[in-house]
Amino acid sequence: MIVVDGLSVSYGAVRALQSVSFEAPSGEITAVLGANGAGKTTLLRAISGLVSPLAGTVSKDGDVLTGRRTEDIVRLGVAHVPEGRGVIAEFTVEENLRLGFMIARGSLADALAEQYAIFPVLGERRRQAAATLSGGERQMLAMARALIARPSVLLLDEPSLGLAPLVTAQLMQQIRELCARENLTVVLVEQNATSALRIAQRAVVLRVGVVVANDTAAVVRDDENLRQYYLGMVE
Amino acid sequence: MDAFLTSRNVSDLLGGVTSGVIYALVALSLVLIWRSTRMLNFAQGAMAVFATYIGFAILAPTTNYWVSMSVAIVAGLVLGGVTERVLVRPLYGKPEINPIVAMVGLLLVLESIAAAIWSTSARALATPFSIVDWQLNHKPVALSPFALYEIVTSLVVMAIVAALFQYTKLGLQLRAAALAPEVSRLLGVRVGRMLTVGWMLSTAVGAVTAVLVASNFFTGLTPSGMDGVFAFGFIAAAIGGLDSPVGAMVSGLALGVVFQFVGDYVNSNAVILVALGLLIVSLMVRPNGVFTRSAQRRV
Amino acid sequence: MARVTRSGRSVGLILTAVAVAIVVAFSSSTRLALALGLAVAVLGVGATLVSLPAVRRGHPVATRALISVVVVDLAILLTFRVSATSDSNVAIGAAMSIVLLGLSFLTGSSGQISLGNGAFMGVGAFTVGIWADHHATTPLLAVLVLATLAGALVGLVLGLPATRLRGPYLAGMTLAFAVAFGAILNVFSSWTGGDSGLQLPSAVVAPHWLASFFGPGASALATSSAWLADISILVTGVALFLMANLFASRTGRAMRLVRDNDTAAELVGVSLPRARVIAFTVSAAYAALGGALWTLVNNSVSPSTYGFVLSITILSLVVIGGIGTIPGAIIGGIIYAFSAGAISWLTAHLGLNPQGNVASQLDGIIFGGLLVLTIVFAPMGIAGLVRRGWRRVRHG
Repeated sequence: MIVVDGLSVSYGAVRALQSVSFEAPSGEITAVLGANGAGKTTLLRAISGLVSPLAGTVSKDGDVLTGRRTEDIVRLGVAHVPEGRGVIAEFTVEENLRLGFMIARGSLADALAEQYAIFPVLGERRRQAAATLSGGERQMLAMARALIARPSVLLLDEPSLGLAPLVTAQLMQQIRELCARENLTVVLVEQNATSALRIAQRAVVLRVGVVVANDTAAVVRDDENLRQYYLGMVE
Repeated sequence: MDAFLTSRNVSDLLGGVTSGVIYALVALSLVLIWRSTRMLNFAQGAMAVFATYIGFAILAPTTNYWVSMSVAIVAGLVLGGVTERVLVRPLYGKPEINPIVAMVGLLLVLESIAAAIWSTSARALATPFSIVDWQLNHKPVALSPFALYEIVTSLVVMAIVAALFQYTKLGLQLRAAALAPEVSRLLGVRVGRMLTVGWMLSTAVGAVTAVLVASNFFTGLTPSGMDGVFAFGFIAAAIGGLDSPVGAMVSGLALGVVFQFVGDYVNSNAVILVALGLLIVSLMVRPNGVFTRSAQRRV
Repeated sequence: MARVTRSGRSVGLILTAVAVAIVVAFSSSTRLALALGLAVAVLGVGATLVSLPAVRRGHPVATRALISVVVVDLAILLTFRVSATSDSNVAIGAAMSIVLLGLSFLTGSSGQISLGNGAFMGVGAFTVGIWADHHATTPLLAVLVLATLAGALVGLVLGLPATRLRGPYLAGMTLAFAVAFGAILNVFSSWTGGDSGLQLPSAVVAPHWLASFFGPGASALATSSAWLADISILVTGVALFLMANLFASRTGRAMRLVRDNDTAAELVGVSLPRARVIAFTVSAAYAALGGALWTLVNNSVSPSTYGFVLSITILSLVVIGGIGTIPGAIIGGIIYAFSAGAISWLTAHLGLNPQGNVASQLDGIIFGGLLVLTIVFAPMGIAGLVRRGWRRVRHG
């Protein structure tokens, strides 16, 4: 479980987040929604320690993450798949996965086999450079690389960006299954509110750094105001 | 066959390879730092010489050559690590000339201190190998046991570095930290530590290079003895591409051979003009090096 | 605006010419008092002009000319106060200021750096040596211009790759040039004299136009280093004046744009490659001019003077003085003029053996150490520190 409490972040004079508070429970997907520039990516970066907040804390299962280095936060089981996926294009598929396994214990071969079972296409392309993968395959690689270290928290930044609707739907289904099976805490940042709300249990809506809604996904989905003014969802 | 092996062209080739491996090593150590920090270590030669002095001048002259060399390598590791932590770290993110200036300053300080402590006169290192060329039917082959030792040692160093990068967990992290620092941090790679390790490795490779250069009877160990070698090594790295370890090493070897032929067939003084000419032309045609793929894709 | 600038320029030129003439006329030590009075007067006028922002804005060229004259005057005054050996130190330091102005321009306008300006100095120095070998009677000024052009030419050739290169590559290339310079001289050893260098055929004689100012005492000028120091300082003044205008010109401003932002520069129509090559060529030409003066002062030229260490020393001076700024270059030159004396003083006070290893390396250790400390703790050098201090004083 991730608890964000009164988190404020600024870039110079620009306030990116203003006392943001919410909880993301284990075994559930918490969707973070909002328009471009609402502070969604900043929120994830603050959780994984890439930016340091002005005020507020982030904690995971009672451990305070704020103030720790990114490298140490990752070792506490917080996996962050950044915007644009962060796949290292010059590396082969397997090298990317080996890098993801670096902080884990146990057998690399078993861990690789497990991920190739979940994402068969990665197994077929294990020796190829990641640069040769399609957008959907890269997203799978990024997820597999995050999951291979057996994290308890998964932060996903715009996983559907640039993917075809069908691929997005499959991806969302996969995220949901993983979340339930591994009892993961998933924080899913999405601009595509429709597909995110379809799989999420909870939703947090941000508007220029301020939380305007923090409720179950169903409530947010049915709120006419939120849909029209903050999420840009038009039926 | 014998006549072939002692012919002028084969002699030039062998002589070229002997000096080419040195340029290749210098180029390699420059690439190691460039890839991870986008800095050109202008103090590379001076740091290498300093490490060599520690190995060969502080210990008694009777100390075993291999012990001295090991000490020099360890000194290189320490010097590289300390330099990165103390001098280089505050300069990340500063204008690109700041690290250049700082490394040139370090070059001057190290060479001056070395000269102040150990004087500028050349010091011969007693190598365990003869520098007299082998003979074939009473004609010399342009290869001595020492030259062979130089070539083999260089190739071994290159192989060790390549294996480290390709097959070890440390190498994977070093490469990742250089290619995508932020993503690497998100995967738990301690990027700062990797930069330190990169400088340590680079300076250790440099120390081996300086020991080889200084072991050569004709040059010996002098405080500024690596300036010229560094210049050639840089030219090799720039032509091959500072981003490409393989390119840098290949072009170092090739340059050694080209220079040998130019020196033999034209004039030994012309070598430097050819080197500068090659550098200028290649930088104008391929500013990022011959072996660097244009516009490397990043995701 | 154009009219103001033009009139400002003519005022500046006339003032410079008058000041130059007066200074040359009075540089014999018997007229110390007169020169002193003049300097004070010029200083007063200059200070008044500089302190008035309106004047500074309306007559920028005149202001720059006045500052140049004041600097020249103060430096020449110095030559009255010091002995003959120090005279040549002052001459050498003034020439060094020219070199530093060039490097400051390169860095200030393009954000690039050269590690080969010692070798470019050598180009100018050897041009004078070689020319004097064959044409001993060429007027002094013509020789200086020739050397400057030679430096510009070599700079242009080496600067061509600069059109496409970023800092570290260019710095590495200039380093290679600096390290290789001795060997390059050897390639042309029939002209350059190889390792031993060249001795000027006869002591440089003060040119007639200069000597005529001194009247019957002219023959004494041949052996006195004072007039050479004065010439160096005058040339430095002219170089300073030109550089100040170049810094402030449209080209100069466009170049600073190049340094700060490539894309912005291209948007306003500045040709990046051309700006970089111009900056590099100007810095080489300035270095060559400084080297040419060195040959005149030393009456000889030796390849060992123009080794790699000189290039690093030049870099140290410009960084310690304040890289990319005109005052920084002047400060660097002053430091250089006094560094030899300061280091021998230090050697004596530390009780070091003047012939020992440590004493002979003291300058390298100090310059290198200061270089590192400056770039880490005060990247804008002494000029930057002074400016920051001044701002703090003004704004409380």
